[in-house]
Amino acid sequence: MDAITVNHLNRVFKSTDGIIKRKVKEVVAVEDVSFEIRQGELFGLLGPNGAGKTTSVKMLTTLLIPTGGTATIMGLDVVKDAAKVRPRIGFIFGGERGLYWRLSGLDNLRYFASLYYVDEKVAKKRIPELLEMVGLKGREREKVEGYSRGMRQRLHIARALLHDPEVLFLDEPTMGLDPVGARELRTTVKNMQSANKTILLTTHYMFEADALCQRIAVINKGKIVALDTPEKLKENVQDLTVVEIELYGISQDRIARIKALDFVVDVSVEDRDQRQVLHVHTPKGPEAIPVLVENLNGLRLGRIITREPTLEDAYVRLVGGTEN
Amino acid sequence: MLNHLTANIRIFFEGAYYSYRALFRWLRPATYLASKVFAPLTMMIFFVYIGAYASGSNNASFYVIGNSLIFAASSGIFGVTMSVGGERWSGTLPYLFGSPANRWAMFVGRAVMHILDGMLGVFIGLGWGILLFGLDFSHTDPMALLLAILITTFSTSGLGLLMGCLSLITRNVMLVNNTVYFSLLVFSGANIPVAELPRWMQSISQMLPLTRGVACTRTIINGGSLADVLPLLQVEFLIGVMLTILGYFLFKVFEIQAKKKGTLDIF
Ligand SMILES: Nc1ncnc2c1ncn2[C@@H]1O[C@H](COP(=O)(O)OP(=O)(O)OP(=O)(O)O)[C@@H](O)[C@H]1O
Ligand SMILES: [Mg+2]
Repeated sequence: MDAITVNHLNRVFKSTDGIIKRKVKEVVAVEDVSFEIRQGELFGLLGPNGAGKTTSVKMLTTLLIPTGGTATIMGLDVVKDAAKVRPRIGFIFGGERGLYWRLSGLDNLRYFASLYYVDEKVAKKRIPELLEMVGLKGREREKVEGYSRGMRQRLHIARALLHDPEVLFLDEPTMGLDPVGARELRTTVKNMQSANKTILLTTHYMFEADALCQRIAVINKGKIVALDTPEKLKENVQDLTVVEIELYGISQDRIARIKALDFVVDVSVEDRDQRQVLHVHTPKGPEAIPVLVENLNGLRLGRIITREPTLEDAYVRLVGGTEN
Repeated sequence: MLNHLTANIRIFFEGAYYSYRALFRWLRPATYLASKVFAPLTMMIFFVYIGAYASGSNNASFYVIGNSLIFAASSGIFGVTMSVGGERWSGTLPYLFGSPANRWAMFVGRAVMHILDGMLGVFIGLGWGILLFGLDFSHTDPMALLLAILITTFSTSGLGLLMGCLSLITRNVMLVNNTVYFSLLVFSGANIPVAELPRWMQSISQMLPLTRGVACTRTIINGGSLADVLPLLQVEFLIGVMLTILGYFLFKVFEIQAKKKGTLDIF
């Protein structure tokens, strides 16, 4: 059975501005999104800022009413059966908010255990286990305001697991963590999946999705632009080579000119300190280099290399970014 | 069924306990004590002397009783407002509304500790009255007094719940809260006898919580019996119940609206 089904989900936000003449602006945050997640699957929702990831998660966690379409969790409708959905899901929204900073970590967990109707005896046993699991053991009696960002994030994870939910929603769980902390958290997520939980994870990072998820949906401007296993997504770009050219100060019309070349499939620009790195996707391989250099004449060039495309390239191509 | 009931009672009291702690635990005991013990003293002295000066009479007990109650009431109102409205600041609303917890238990529980806190405040105020202004309890029925204070702090906490919900909706809590505080100061009869107010103001007094509570407490301290004040106390209680229900209703409306408009975590 599918743990999560999403059918043509839509969400439009209306906002008004102007005091005298009220203009109503509409933002389509999620547009016609559909997918299914199997029980026990770790599914990634990947997309750039403002793509609609958080909005989707909010609708699936009963916190936001869709303006169109439907979704179910374990066969229960997220709008009509919201009350039945809630005890079966756990969720975290990345970041540090959403905890009582003036209470200890332990008190935070105790309070949420009661909000989730976790039996007191069960909570007594489970809270220390969860603290152990997220590495907060020994710090649980300190106030949350004295925690580091990573500690707060991990406390959120423990909070989401208090009632042993079948389905978990993790919205950017590694946001703001240092590389070591992020890696530890990824291990924790992996472990949760082996405990046979269904997990929907959102992230900006392709490598994170690649390392964790069995399937990835790439979402951009509210729409799903690709949905497949990481391997299949990579195949999309496998016939191509990426030429990386380091350079200094390239203008938009130069980029446009490169993009217009007939053997160029896609171009993205990455900023690295003073320099930029041009990633040119082409089926032509190293042979493309002379023509590219010719088109860049007058610019100061640095290192030029060719390499196999990565999942990151597949992603960048899908969301069509010239940003990094 | 019964299990569910006990679980909801737990949410009610744990919510009460933790939200109160979250609000006040940052105060060191000394600061807390100062705010509880000395702040009412200054307020009381101010009004006793101003009152004596303005009215020419020397009726300290009138002001002592009135201000003990109003001080407790206002700290209760602010406290409850902050513990409901504070959820917006702490960003906990999505997590509260995403939980299966009974909303009634979750919401009304916020007021419990503030009722107790308010009662303590009244006792401290009256204690100052005994110490400094010779407030006389020799004719007072203690049980009746306790009941009157309990019901008064309950009804003003009801106002706090209502204000707390308004603060979720409007964001201009402090403005609304101050307005309420000053109207209690003027209308409740704590400092100005209600009978001396113009007629239209009197009708406002009659709609507010606290007005009857103040009157009952004065009557009881001055030797009245429970039977004397019971009719008024019942109305005071009813006002508290109505405010609580209204607050809860607004709370539900807020929840539904926030989910429709997507304003749950905007602060
Ligand atoms: N409550 C809201 N009111 C109005 N517009 C909103 C609201 N929430 C989100 N939006 C808009 O919807 C779009 C999608 O936002 P969303 O938060 O879902 O993106 P996201 O993929 O989570 O981005 P990020 O990676 O930055 O977290 C954005 O254009 C955003 O401005
Ligand atoms: Mg987001």
